[in-house]
Amino acid sequence: MRASVFACALLGYSVVADAAGTPVGTVIENTASVTFDLAGTPTTVLTNTTSLTVVERVDVVVTLQSPQILVAANDTDRALLFTVTNTGNGTEAFTLSIDNVLGSDDFDPVAAVPAIYFDTDASGDFNAGDLPYTLGVNDPNLAADGTVDIFLVNDIPGGVVNGNIGRSQLTATSATGTGVPGTVFAGQGDGGVDAVIGSTGGEALEFGEYLVSDVQITAVKTQAVADPFGGSEPVPGATITYTITVDVVGAGTATASVFNDVIPTFTTFVPNSITLNTAPLTDALGDDAGDFDTSVVPTIVVRLGDLTAAGGTQTVVFQVTID
Amino acid sequence: MSALINKFLPPSTAFATLFVLFLSGAALAQGKGHLEVTTIVQKEIHVENEDGDSETQLVVAETVLPGEHVVYTITFVNVGEAAAENVVITNPISESLTYVAGSASNGSMQVEFSVDGGKAFGLASELRIVDNGVERPATTNDYTHVRWVMQNELEVGAKGSASFAAVLQ
Repeated sequence: MRASVFACALLGYSVVADAAGTPVGTVIENTASVTFDLAGTPTTVLTNTTSLTVVERVDVVVTLQSPQILVAANDTDRALLFTVTNTGNGTEAFTLSIDNVLGSDDFDPVAAVPAIYFDTDASGDFNAGDLPYTLGVNDPNLAADGTVDIFLVNDIPGGVVNGNIGRSQLTATSATGTGVPGTVFAGQGDGGVDAVIGSTGGEALEFGEYLVSDVQITAVKTQAVADPFGGSEPVPGATITYTITVDVVGAGTATASVFNDVIPTFTTFVPNSITLNTAPLTDALGDDAGDFDTSVVPTIVVRLGDLTAAGGTQTVVFQVTID
Repeated sequence: MSALINKFLPPSTAFATLFVLFLSGAALAQGKGHLEVTTIVQKEIHVENEDGDSETQLVVAETVLPGEHVVYTITFVNVGEAAAENVVITNPISESLTYVAGSASNGSMQVEFSVDGGKAFGLASELRIVDNGVERPATTNDYTHVRWVMQNELEVGAKGSASFAAVLQ
């Protein structure tokens, strides 16, 4: 942080954060002073002034943003999200490439055409608003500390089976060059200073994974408390609204899925408070998908039926009051 | 010779190089008056020696990269006809540089630091700083200046040096 303050004073840069280090081109001048007394008379002398010019360090890091992506055979346009960060101290262009033929996996994803996209709309999701990358045409040019989010887009081949893993790798390469740390590209840095390869070698790569998976169901439960006084304290008489979101990922169909949730102790179910995707359900058995079953312990039951990833999120809501 | 030279850092291969430069430094002295003073800046480079091991050397530097260690050395010689008393050498520490703890240690001079742009100086262990209203001990990141206070007078013809290391952010 101190580095950027210095650079502002010296060069008029308006950059703020500076994890990448002192900006290229910064000049550090140094003059020492020596004071002493000669027969009681104070004297000061200055040394000569030394000057150091900060040259460009070329470094890049690629990080994977996506979790393992669950896929099915013959899926198309499945995207992995990465971030490319210029960790050098100057402005640098990077070329991007994809590699799907990697060791330690079970299948090779098939690169879509094109396969590399920018997350143009910064949504984090691959969609129609994202523009493709073309080598040598729109290579990302990143300022020091600058980042760009990149998708690798692949199809999943047929013939893969449950549990198979396929990897896809993004490589970002400095346009100035690569080499062992310390390699000098004379005059190739910003403003004509030397560019020196840093610890990353001027190139970075990272892979993401696709996992062939049968259908999997996840449920996330949240609660909201409303007390009788207009607040949200969990006091007797307060109402708790539970919201359960059920998501389906992977390939295939989860048949005859049933959601069960036992009413918590020290609470009482609010009659007719069950909804499925905002549609109210009665507490009676047999007239619709939901019922309130008190035969063993008080339990909410919602028959979700056949679920697929394409069917989208199922949302169950019900209420209890605190005894 | 050693009696005249303040050894500013533990001996090492790196500083053997520095001594040679130091001895020739007096010829470069540009200070006026009865003390001639000069400063050089070097940086550490890692080279392979004859045995194939990596060793650190100091070379005079004009350029520097983030993360590199630089060493500033100030040399002084009394060219007058009377001893100099109360000799104090003061060097600013650039905002871009972070002082390397312990690097200014000097056998015959007391090392002090400033955290307020050179207005006040104190021993490293005594300096405190107010950060967002909370007082805390100063760290090497806070140092704006380093100075060396000579304990004895500098006799006619006597030489000395002071140095410190810093890392470019």
